[in-house]
Amino acid sequence: MSEIEEGVRTGSAVESENFIPSSEIKEGEDQIHIRNLSKTYVTEDSETVVLEDFSLDIRKGELISIVGPSGCGKTTILRMLAGLVQPTSGKILIGDRECTAPGSDRGMVFQDFALFPWRSVRKNVEFGLEIAGMPKEQRRERADKYLKIVGLEKFADHRIHELSGGMKQRVALARALVTNPDVILMDEPFGALDAQTRNLMQAGLLKILDKTDQTIIFITHSVDEAVFLSDRIVILTKRPAKIKEVVEIDWPRPRDRASPEFTALRKRILEELEKENVLD
Amino acid sequence: MATILNWTYDENNRYHRWFRTTVIAITSLVCFVFAWWDVSLLLNSTAIPTPLETWNALVDLVVNGDSVTGGRTVWAYIGSSLKTFLLGFLLALVVAVPLGLVIGYSKTIREFANPVIEVMRPIAPIAWAPIFILAINYTVGPILVVFIGIFFPVLTNVVFGVQKIDPNLMDAARTMGASPVQVFYKVMVPSAVPYLMNGIKVGLGVGWMCIVAAELYAPQLGGIGYYLSTMATNGLWPNAFAAIVIIAILGIVTTGLAEYVHKIITRRMGMSNV
Ligand SMILES: Nc1ncnc2c1ncn2[C@@H]1O[C@H](COP(=O)(O)OP(=O)(O)O)[C@@H](O)[C@H]1O
Ligand SMILES: [Mg+2]
Repeated sequence: MSEIEEGVRTGSAVESENFIPSSEIKEGEDQIHIRNLSKTYVTEDSETVVLEDFSLDIRKGELISIVGPSGCGKTTILRMLAGLVQPTSGKILIGDRECTAPGSDRGMVFQDFALFPWRSVRKNVEFGLEIAGMPKEQRRERADKYLKIVGLEKFADHRIHELSGGMKQRVALARALVTNPDVILMDEPFGALDAQTRNLMQAGLLKILDKTDQTIIFITHSVDEAVFLSDRIVILTKRPAKIKEVVEIDWPRPRDRASPEFTALRKRILEELEKENVLD
Repeated sequence: MATILNWTYDENNRYHRWFRTTVIAITSLVCFVFAWWDVSLLLNSTAIPTPLETWNALVDLVVNGDSVTGGRTVWAYIGSSLKTFLLGFLLALVVAVPLGLVIGYSKTIREFANPVIEVMRPIAPIAWAPIFILAINYTVGPILVVFIGIFFPVLTNVVFGVQKIDPNLMDAARTMGASPVQVFYKVMVPSAVPYLMNGIKVGLGVGWMCIVAAELYAPQLGGIGYYLSTMATNGLWPNAFAAIVIIAILGIVTTGLAEYVHKIITRRMGMSNV
């Protein structure tokens, strides 16, 4: 799929004339502080303790992956970061502001894309700009620029149901990037894609993000994906999720999946996770 | 299916499919007409005219107008019925759509409204006809009967549609900074449109049943239902049956139109799977 490549090459850079990130935190410094976060879901017939006293600092500009057994609470962590779910106790600080509601400083990419079927591709990307009250021509121009970055400028007037899974996920990515948020939250964004498309999307994502200083928090169940993309990988235990280990990866990108250190690290993390998956 | 003169039915060809459906539909109608004919001959009652007698009365009504009571054309009767119908329909939309959106949106309002809805809904709309016509008047009464008939299907479908919205879409809108009001009209309202169209489709069918019944109580309106009852009370059965045929055709046209609009809109909105 040369479209991604082409789009990435032509889309000079992800600039920000209208959406200047508000924080003064420099790249590499701690930006997000998750402090003693706990979350218990209470339903009529059960109480689920998903998180207990969970703390983590996330640096500006890093791509941090969270891997863990299914159902351990990864999505819950991300939704609390997005401000969609309120913690039972503890807090999340972004810079020095407490995060309690969704805000334009954070963008989110959902696993099932969550695109609006009644809007065209362009109108989907324009949504956040519309909310921000940007005038029509400017909105269109900016949306088209981001569609070009993800290689979908030819599909601007298409409907969502006419797109393939990989294309939908690129629209979702463009929609999250277009308002230039400081932080991008991605919940298993490539989980629904086939292996080949997935690899192309990972490469495309790296090229796009190379040009920005956005912080990416990336949830995945693919260890391979985590090792390929991340500056750091957070390995979680089974529910209630605790941090089992944080792996730093300072290898240059693009990474070679076939290299000995890549396979060795992947194997080690997989073994760690398997210990968590043992049924008890 | 069978091979007829080198012609093989192909399930993947839309013209073949269309042809097949049409042939079956026409066969069905022809069978129906013959069954009707049999029944009318067997019973040998004047109250059940044969299809031929009905056809003759229908042609006479369309070509010469109402030659029995004098003067009015068939279009005058139909026009009067359609006017009542349309007003009732518009009124139902204006009231049911916003109400359905609000009831679907807010649990408290839903809990408040549900008892009233459940009490009112099972009442046959036609039961209201004499009450409305006597209590208000013969123009507004039938309109209100049509209103009731269309109101409930539209309301329940819109309420259902709002509750069926993919919560992820609302969350996505919220993460892009949408306020609750913006989530409401930029996400919930468009999501509910296919359900609204479905409610309209059902409502039009019910509404059409109501109009004729309501007109029986409001002869002054002079709609097609009034023509039907006048002919029946005077024992002019072929004419009464001609009116029934007209009512049936108009009903089919209305619901067919609604179905078509439903299809176009859901396809344009990329939501044909609803
Ligand atoms: N809204 C909710 N109400 C009740 N329980 C929930 C809710 N959301 C998630 N859970 C439960 O919390 C646990 C963690 O869910 P989640 O964060 O989605 O895990 P993961 O993304 O790691 O698979 C699961 O057992 C899930 O059933
Ligand atoms: Mg999850």
